[in-house]
Amino acid sequence: MNTADLLLIRRGVTKLIFRPEAPLMGFGMSLFFLIVYNAGIGGVGFLDAFGPNGYFAFIFPIALVSLAMGSSAGASQTLNADMQSGYFRRMYLSPASRKVLIAAPMLADILSTLIFSALIIMIGALFALPFRFGVLSILGVLLLSMLWAITLCGFSTGVMIRTGRHQSAAIITNTVFPLIFLSTTYMPRELITSEWLLTASWGNPVTYVLEGMRFLLAGTSSGYFFTIAVAVLGITSLISVTFAIRSAHNIKF
Amino acid sequence: MSEIEIRALKKHYKGGVEALKTITLNIERGSFFALLGPNGAGKSTLVGIMTTLIRKDAGDIIIGGLDPEKETAAIQRYIGAASQENELDPAETPFNLLRFQGRLFGLHYAESRERAEELIIQFGLENEKHKKTASLSGGNKRRLHCALALVHRPRVLFLDEPTVGMDPLARETFWHVITSLNHKDGVTIMLTTQYLEEADRHASEMALIIDGTIHFQGTVQAFKQNVNAGDDASLEDNYLKYTKSLNNTKYINS
Repeated sequence: MNTADLLLIRRGVTKLIFRPEAPLMGFGMSLFFLIVYNAGIGGVGFLDAFGPNGYFAFIFPIALVSLAMGSSAGASQTLNADMQSGYFRRMYLSPASRKVLIAAPMLADILSTLIFSALIIMIGALFALPFRFGVLSILGVLLLSMLWAITLCGFSTGVMIRTGRHQSAAIITNTVFPLIFLSTTYMPRELITSEWLLTASWGNPVTYVLEGMRFLLAGTSSGYFFTIAVAVLGITSLISVTFAIRSAHNIKF
Repeated sequence: MSEIEIRALKKHYKGGVEALKTITLNIERGSFFALLGPNGAGKSTLVGIMTTLIRKDAGDIIIGGLDPEKETAAIQRYIGAASQENELDPAETPFNLLRFQGRLFGLHYAESRERAEELIIQFGLENEKHKKTASLSGGNKRRLHCALALVHRPRVLFLDEPTVGMDPLARETFWHVITSLNHKDGVTIMLTTQYLEEADRHASEMALIIDGTIHFQGTVQAFKQNVNAGDDASLEDNYLKYTKSLNNTKYINS
């Protein structure tokens, strides 16, 4: 990585600091979900299926999942603003790596997701959120958050570049949003009575992210889910980043 | 000695539009070259290929001994380009944009500041230096846009309608900078413009491209002599005479 690449990454971070709408929206959305779900459904937390730490620990992972969903459009907004102003073309005609030109705002987005995830985890800790493996649990949860954020951010960025419209980035959020409801978001598998929903949840990556985090936090799930989540999100991250970077060929100058 | 060599260059777009039909051009090092032609003739495609923004279908291009498609980073250091549209970050100041541009091209921190100061003075942007570019007038934006293309001291400069929106004084300052680069530093200039009086005044060599085909390449003087619109006729008079004769031929043939 050369100086030009590092400068582009620094610019991506600076842009995000001065245009924090996307990460702040994601942060607000995740806190909202956490508070509302805990207040609305938290009363069932006494059931054994939720584990000894109650509903708060059970529902907590959805705050991290929705954080990445809410903030994944940050990179595409930065890139779109540069394309609209023509400045993207100016940078494109510099010796800086064209891959880094696309990846830099994505990296800034991922960093912001990690920072806000850490903040949400701290808020969770204040409300007695358990960490089954201590610091390792925190690192594991951050790893899943990061991979989830890369997946969403890469696809959002790629779609925006290919369509040239920043609104298009919302397609990814809108596509992923129903997956939250087709998962074990609100109830553990043991309490889901509908067969079709159970079947859908098995094929849903969100299930593995949530259950993987539950394994690391309250320990109410199996380590198998964490392994599958890392593997699946690792692959989807790779695909989405490749998709975003390859989309650069579709830019019409 | 050739600075730009183009051999049998072809480009077509989806839908079958043939933007360039076997273009061959030779541009001498240190020349002031005007690429002329009506809208949709293929000028922007040709410049786009030379500046690495567009990929060619077939043919060869060598600029300063470099192949734009194979040596992209090296060619970016060798050329500078100011396109028709302004390419400015509205949230930044001229000074910061120039400095950042310098850094992207490998200038050290202090060097990039010095170069930014130099260009700010050269292009008369002293009073605008620390204002957000969004608040600059159209002419000043244009000046800054052109200054950005010069930060890394390119050996070949592509200028696409560079003076659009500039007032007469700004145009004079701009051409003073450009002609001085051409005369004193030997920078090769490739100008595409519809302001033919500017091409007439500054360019020594030219090519006329129409419908993806080169109709003429040579000196501006030779073009005038060939078309022969009159003894004191300008480049624009000759250009109009030539293009109108083509249109008439098309009309008669159809």
